[in-house]
Amino acid sequence: MAPWGERLAGVRGVLLDISGVLYDSGAGGGTAIAGSVEAVARLKGSRLKVRFCTNESQKSRAELVGQLRRLGFDISEGEVTAPAPAACQILKERGLRPYLLIHDGVRSEFDQIDTSNPNCVVIADAGESFSYQNMNNAFQVLMELENPVLISLGKGRYYKETSGLMLDVGPYMKALEYACGIKAEVVGKPSPEFFKSALQAIGVEAHQVVLSVY
Amino acid sequence: MATRHALEAVLVDLSGTLHIEDAAVPGAQEALKRLRGASVIVRFVTNTTKESKQDLLQRLRKLEFDISENEIFTSLTAARSLLKQKQVRPMLLVDDRALPDFKGIQTSDPNAVVIGLAPEHFHYQILNQAFWLLLDGAPLIAIHKARYYKRKDGLALGPGPFVTALEYATDTKATVVEKPETFFLEALRGTGCEPEEAVMIRDDCRDDVGGAQDVGMLASDEEKINPPPYLTYESFPHAVDHILQHLL
Repeated sequence: MAPWGERLAGVRGVLLDISGVLYDSGAGGGTAIAGSVEAVARLKGSRLKVRFCTNESQKSRAELVGQLRRLGFDISEGEVTAPAPAACQILKERGLRPYLLIHDGVRSEFDQIDTSNPNCVVIADAGESFSYQNMNNAFQVLMELENPVLISLGKGRYYKETSGLMLDVGPYMKALEYACGIKAEVVGKPSPEFFKSALQAIGVEAHQVVLSVY
Repeated sequence: MATRHALEAVLVDLSGTLHIEDAAVPGAQEALKRLRGASVIVRFVTNTTKESKQDLLQRLRKLEFDISENEIFTSLTAARSLLKQKQVRPMLLVDDRALPDFKGIQTSDPNAVVIGLAPEHFHYQILNQAFWLLLDGAPLIAIHKARYYKRKDGLALGPGPFVTALEYATDTKATVVEKPETFFLEALRGTGCEPEEAVMIRDDCRDDVGGAQDVGMLASDEEKINPPPYLTYESFPHAVDHILQHLL
């Protein structure tokens, strides 16, 4: 058997990225990428376990899944591993109260989190909410802390929307790192913990899975 | 010490050397007159990004220094010089008060990005536009990369973080105008003198003097630097004395 064939024989699961693989985000709910709806349907119909592993942090899982379903995708909230819930887990474990430098679209993911008297900053793909004022607020919070903690949902440089390329969370994370002389903790891809939690969710091991990313 | 070339140009830092705040350094006006008596080109350099040359000129003339506008070289002048040299049309993300120093430079259909201290421009849409220009190959020119500055309401983000953001997004490096190597070379460009033929007089023991040495200039400094490879003087008048007696 060819080497690829041997490797694929042991595959039991697939981790699918969303942006750039299933669809391009943008006005009007975005656009499905040609052939993706059918591809997901075929995977779901196979013996393979399917998990959606995204760094989407501008909207909640509910909103994202809603958009994808309207585009015809067979996907549900419980099948998605996303960074905001992962970050909430960390915040709770470490007793952290964040200043949220985020887009309003993802705020609902943080409903259970205490944001009073912040002792850390959580930065996500805030898009238009990356105003100078908001960035400065986050900066001032960090500079006041004896132990500044900056949690970044991903560190992508940019992503494609239907209207063009858009600055992602990464550049703004670097901006705060530089301004404060600190290093951010990245939650989401490409952190190994994130992939591990996606694998755990479908009960497969790393060597049994294929990744589809943009 | 490296072989001494004939001295052709003297760069004089303004703040701390010719004047301290609104007071002239005692004897500095007269020392400048003596320096002008020798046949060297004199240039006045300063790291300001908010005051136009007119503002500086007014301040210095009030203190009775004999200086003309085209002898003043600021970081904005350096940026302008760089733009002319690269023959590019900039998207200017600078303070409104700095715009006069870019008069005459075409800014429509930009193919370069210049970033100064201009919080009002550091919003998502504008930075994204700058990002697109950079992806198309436009050079990124930063006046400086200050992390933050002091405002009445506390510390505020400077241009540095946003320059860093764009560098990371495009995997490129900005040309930083106030980096000593860049600044001194641009200051000398208009004089037609080589670095080996120039001397820099400033009062600061920072990077700046090191940078001057790096580009081959003899650097005089008014305070001690450890280790002291430079000649040190008490003041600008003393530095001028030394130049007139030993370097011409």
